[in-house]
Amino acid sequence: MVISQEEHLKELSKDYRFDWKDESHSVFEPKRGISPAVVEEISHLKSEPDWMRKRRLKALEHFEARPMPWWGADLSAIDFQNIFYFIRSTEKMAANWEDLPDDIKGTWDKLGIPEAEKKYLGGVSAQYESEVVYHKIKKELDDIGVLFTDMDSALRDYPDLVKEHFGTIIPSNDNKFAALNTAVWSGGSFIYVPPGVQVDIPLQAYFRINAENMGQFERTLIIADEGSYVHYVEGCSAPIYSSDSLHSAVVEIKAMKGARVRYTTIQNWSTNVYNLVTKRAAAYEDAVMEWVDGNIGSKVTMKYPSIYLLGEGARGEILSVAFAGKGMHTDAGGKAIHAAPHTTSVINSKSVSKGGGRTGYRGLVRVEPDAHHAKSTVRCDALILDDESRSDTYPYIEVEDETASLGHEATVSKVGDDQLFYLMSRGLSEVEATAMIVNGFIEPITRELPMEYAVELNRLIELQMEGSVG
Amino acid sequence: MTTFDRAALDALPIAPGSTRAIRARAFDQFETLPTPSPETEEWRYTDLSDFALDFVPHVPGHGEGAPVPDGTGLAATMLQHNSSNVMTTSGQDLESKGVVFCDLDVAAEKYPELVDAHLHDLVPTDRTRFTALHGAFRTGGTFLYVPADVAVELPLQTLTYLDADGAAVFPHTLLIAERGAEITLIDRYTSADLGSALSDAVVEIVVGDGAHVRYASIQEWGSGVTHLSVQRARVGRDADFRSLSVGFGASLSRAEAETVLAEPGGFSEMLGVFFGDGDQHFDHRSVQDHVAPNCTSDLLYKGALRDASRAVFSGWVHVRPDAQKTIAMQTSRNIVLSEHAKADAIPNLEIEANDVRCGHAASVGPVEEDMLFYLESRGIPRDEAERLVVTGFFQEVLDRVTLEGVRHGAELAIQEELGRSA
Repeated sequence: MVISQEEHLKELSKDYRFDWKDESHSVFEPKRGISPAVVEEISHLKSEPDWMRKRRLKALEHFEARPMPWWGADLSAIDFQNIFYFIRSTEKMAANWEDLPDDIKGTWDKLGIPEAEKKYLGGVSAQYESEVVYHKIKKELDDIGVLFTDMDSALRDYPDLVKEHFGTIIPSNDNKFAALNTAVWSGGSFIYVPPGVQVDIPLQAYFRINAENMGQFERTLIIADEGSYVHYVEGCSAPIYSSDSLHSAVVEIKAMKGARVRYTTIQNWSTNVYNLVTKRAAAYEDAVMEWVDGNIGSKVTMKYPSIYLLGEGARGEILSVAFAGKGMHTDAGGKAIHAAPHTTSVINSKSVSKGGGRTGYRGLVRVEPDAHHAKSTVRCDALILDDESRSDTYPYIEVEDETASLGHEATVSKVGDDQLFYLMSRGLSEVEATAMIVNGFIEPITRELPMEYAVELNRLIELQMEGSVG
Repeated sequence: MTTFDRAALDALPIAPGSTRAIRARAFDQFETLPTPSPETEEWRYTDLSDFALDFVPHVPGHGEGAPVPDGTGLAATMLQHNSSNVMTTSGQDLESKGVVFCDLDVAAEKYPELVDAHLHDLVPTDRTRFTALHGAFRTGGTFLYVPADVAVELPLQTLTYLDADGAAVFPHTLLIAERGAEITLIDRYTSADLGSALSDAVVEIVVGDGAHVRYASIQEWGSGVTHLSVQRARVGRDADFRSLSVGFGASLSRAEAETVLAEPGGFSEMLGVFFGDGDQHFDHRSVQDHVAPNCTSDLLYKGALRDASRAVFSGWVHVRPDAQKTIAMQTSRNIVLSEHAKADAIPNLEIEANDVRCGHAASVGPVEEDMLFYLESRGIPRDEAERLVVTGFFQEVLDRVTLEGVRHGAELAIQEELGRSA
């Protein structure tokens, strides 16, 4: 059967409610493809210091020298020369929503960001294509020295802090996509929380791709100084196109002695976005690092948030929810590297695949020599909703210290007929019953989210379930 | 540089039947296939890139100095000494039932239709450079054929004994159990401690529809031996296959065990027990490949590691798209007994069907402190308490071993290992 492109798009967008496109906004004619000249131009447009320009060019060499990963998802269809690496959509970052062009503002309204900001956020950063177009932090936080800004401004306003920490957790040659990000990064968030400061309402960033074949390469750096706390939340979406976009972020986090950082992601890219992200945190003495990673959208996701437990007593937790529907491959997971004594880690992964989708858990728990009395538990559960879908588990456990105690458990199953029967006998449709069971299945993760996000995640899952049961 | 050159190939005893063609083909593959690289996932934990294939390719054995097989409780025994199959003791009742238990080279001449259909079918010579080497230089080996509906109650056993320092041996077992057959085979590998030696082994097991096959391999090579083995079984409709792998010996042991559940209703159990000391290196790889629906597989590997020994377990459960109603379990448990020992575990699942129950569990850790505390509080000295806990740890696997002699032997070997650590 031949499906027209239009029908194909319609099929793809059936359950995706973020599929609207604004008129293209670009303050100059964007160019496709990557070359040293493109990298130079990005750096020039941003009037960057010379060290950053050099860093970018060196990273481009790494990117070109490295082979594509041979493992994980199929990336062979990515055409690096067909991607727009930089699109500037407004001349100037706004601090008022009203100052944005109407349709860009309309996009944020539809996403509910200004509303959320009023109700429960400590600060908001809104990135549209390559740059942050709106940014604001609550005055109270600003007053006590919390820095929350976009990465481009940070490089300009806090050059020493950025230079000291940029690329120290994820070196530019860490992997092919981290190298690409380092070469062409733009936007992202910079956060510094002073010692002892508790930021008890979340800071949020939202990433929106609007153009077709867009490449979005935000760069985020979070430093939580001693004894501080911060919760950062990010969301993302894009319209559906017939050809692919690329999102390749780098996120670096330092949780200093006794600090706690929670980083929550609700990733809901449209199904033509390759989402290839490197996220890594260093947790020092008695620090706590938590990744809450929800991957609901994208065509392909390869993302394994990592925690390097570098100080005695550091703790790490990775909660991962993955969903893969038709045409999607979500290869997610996490890494915990125990490099100091008495460190603990917990990885809890829940994945759901349906409609021919493929989910995978890929993880590593490693205990370095002399990281004595490390403890780690990994638990992975997968639910496969139909006979076209697939689930994989690739857990690596490497132990170099005899006092370490590590466990891994996983299950893969389908929705139980008896559970369905029970719910349907109470008057629920099969779709409602399935959605309810799936929501129950991922509940150990959603209960860790702020209420608003838990509701959002449940709603996304319910939308994904519609039309799923045959 | 390798001693496995064309001159060495030409110097081998005359190849019987189809072996001649296999040798020629495998030798070409050996010359072209790369040495497995630790850059690949399959060889990530065992780096043989600098492993010199510098062994004596063929060392005839005559049985002199080899242990005399003890046939007590066995239906038949076979002795392979270095490169030669030297003796088979087989009762008349086996022959009268049509069971064939003989040198694989003899079988290649006498039963070409059976050997040609199955030899290197499950484990092709071009799988790796080492299986190619095996295909080119193997002599002797075990052939066991059990006709349809024939049940042999007592186990059969092959002892492969190696006493030539610097030698390479290529043990091969080909077991064919026809429809409804019942059979048990034990492969035992032993040697003195040697300077260096290579054991490059292949085991192929065909479990016919409704057949019951039990297979145990007991690897007790001395130090200095590098043991590389590939075992692969194909399980037919409603058939039952139970395997046990016991590993105590060798300096480096890489043992791959694979079961393909090819027809509906099959069952597979894979048990593993190992104990490492000195600087032993164990690389255990397993595959439970569910091709057909309604099959069940269960894997349990348990090991203890002392001194500077190291173990890796990588297991794969594949559930293919048609394999609905699969139940597959996979468990790897490791006890680390000393500061410099280490263990890695990678229990993988690849599930392409939805109506399945699959699970895996892996753990690595020291002897649990609260168990030791409990025993010590009852007046048991710490050393003794640790021995008791480790004994109990292995008991979960050994309780499932129905071969009395094999279980007893493993228990003794574990006690001996534990005794040495006291």
